[in-house]
Amino acid sequence: MPMKPAILQRLLVMLLLMCVCGHAAEPHHIAIYAPGITYQVDIVVREGAEYVGLTDLLEPLGRLESRADGKKIKLSFNGLDAEFQDGKRQFKLRGEKQDLSANFAVIDGRGYIPVAALAHLLPRIAELPADFHVAAHRLFLGGAQVRYACELLHAPSRLVLTFTAPVNPLIRVEKGRVRFAFRREAVVGGSPASVPYGDELIQSTAWQESADGFELDVNVQKPVTVIAGGGGRSFTIQAAVAAAPPAMAPRVNAPVAAPNGQSAASSGVVQRPVRTLPFVFLDAAHGGGDAGEMLGASVPEKNVTLALARRLQKELESRGVAVVMSRTSDAQLSNDQRAVAANTSHAVLYVSLHASSSGNGLRIYTAMVPSLPAGQGRQSFLPWDAAQAPSLPDSRIAAAALDAQATSAGFHAQTSSVPLRPLNSVTIAAVAVELAPPPGGSANDLGSAEYQARAAAALADAIAGLRGRLQEAP
Amino acid sequence: MIPRRLQYVVLVLVVAIFAMGGYLVHLKRKAEMVSLPLATRLSAPVSGPAEMLLLYVADDQSGTLRQETISQALPSDPGERGRTALHALIARCQQKDSPHPLPAGADVHEVFMMGPSSAVINLNAAFADGHRSGIGPEQLSLFSLVMTLRAQFPQLTRVRFLVEGKSRETLAGHVDLSSWYDTAAVAESAASLK
Repeated sequence: MPMKPAILQRLLVMLLLMCVCGHAAEPHHIAIYAPGITYQVDIVVREGAEYVGLTDLLEPLGRLESRADGKKIKLSFNGLDAEFQDGKRQFKLRGEKQDLSANFAVIDGRGYIPVAALAHLLPRIAELPADFHVAAHRLFLGGAQVRYACELLHAPSRLVLTFTAPVNPLIRVEKGRVRFAFRREAVVGGSPASVPYGDELIQSTAWQESADGFELDVNVQKPVTVIAGGGGRSFTIQAAVAAAPPAMAPRVNAPVAAPNGQSAASSGVVQRPVRTLPFVFLDAAHGGGDAGEMLGASVPEKNVTLALARRLQKELESRGVAVVMSRTSDAQLSNDQRAVAANTSHAVLYVSLHASSSGNGLRIYTAMVPSLPAGQGRQSFLPWDAAQAPSLPDSRIAAAALDAQATSAGFHAQTSSVPLRPLNSVTIAAVAVELAPPPGGSANDLGSAEYQARAAAALADAIAGLRGRLQEAP
Repeated sequence: MIPRRLQYVVLVLVVAIFAMGGYLVHLKRKAEMVSLPLATRLSAPVSGPAEMLLLYVADDQSGTLRQETISQALPSDPGERGRTALHALIARCQQKDSPHPLPAGADVHEVFMMGPSSAVINLNAAFADGHRSGIGPEQLSLFSLVMTLRAQFPQLTRVRFLVEGKSRETLAGHVDLSSWYDTAAVAESAASLK
């Protein structure tokens, strides 16, 4: 008997939903929190087991040099030598055999370690204590965890959250709930995950964590206000003094500064996120199947750009500059994806990082787009390929600052304009930086940790100096 | 047991497949033979009055364009004149002491002059496929072509590149090849290279 079309349709929809749900439930990356840096590494599934790239994992943590030798991967991390072999459980560390607890894998000349072995391997190689939250795919290194305490006070009722380090959560106040979302901070919850209070204002708290971050929900019985204080270490949830007028439409506002350095986060049912917007969008060029130029015998440009981006991220964050990265692993992104991500990141400056074996020093580029007709500005409707036009003056300011700083740091620097995607589709100030070997050097120098660190420090100094000089994104 | 009639049909079909395959190979070879004279037809002119030809030769080490003048017979037809100038530039870059090496076999098929202000440069596949990747080297190659052509046609305001007659996203993974180049903007950017 033929199946009815309606039944077939329902079956197909169910199958599709099952696929989507199953896919969504799978974690695709691991969040790694180390002192001074937070990053993510993508998960690769091989023969049913989860793996992460060894270079992706170690590069942000220190000086890494690795090379593939057939089925072997030899690396030097902060002067410590290690050797891994495809399909083997054992690896050599300082010449001594150690157990990995699962098989190592080499895919396309890149080394991958099993996720199950992370907590075992990292303390030995990085010499940092590791705490791996397996279910949430969060890995904490070197005691980077930030803990908090909840204290319920009375007359009037209020809940005080105190953190062991300054935090900058995204706070959403909804009807009956306040949600603190920590995307970058290494916040961890205590036990139990859910705590009932039974107070007239504060009903309960509950936390959950995943590779995308940590979320703390405070369930409330009345409209509340959140007050941040203590330099970002404490948050007080208390009853709202005056509820928002009912006729007022919900809107998103910037944080409002309050006396004595505190900031009022939200009130009533109006959503008012409190967060620091990123200043710079770092785009490591190429990635995945797009390797870019082959620099030397076996180093693709995509690896150098990612390593440089990570160093620059670290340098910028140490200068208090908030950064958002286009990619933190060997992922392939189209030019349009990069431009869209930059344009929606709320960053002020876009920096695309490239590397080339040709010439020497640092080359800085701005987009070559037609100048804007009189009367047109940032709010005008522009073709996608000329979206950079209104921000060109700011891009030139940024390029000049990078050029000057690179020159004073001893680099041969050069600035020019060039038609380059996605630069011309980025709506904020945008520059591309291409790192070439030092004078008299070779392409191999581009992989040198020391040379990259020098370049990253010079670029970070220039970018940090641009704060307040560029127009904010609309 | 397969009927004899069916066996004949299968046999005829197999023979037909092989015959069509052979004919396809024959057609491919014939097409290649036809396209060969087209490429050679556009060789540089060997006669005509010698003129001073200004070339903008890229220098990888300094990241600049430097001017060199050579004596060259240039045809009067604008398209042929442009192609001859660019051919001379590419030949200069293919010399042993070239400061900006270009791949062997790299050349310009045609230069189409669309009035006095617009030109389309049709590069061959060897130029783009064998070109070194990187913003710097790609920018220098394209700028040197535009600047050399502009030196021949001062009224030229925009230039577009094709590879084997087709539009292409980038030259070698970096610099955009799909849009028109504003010659004034190129000249300004080239002047800023120090």
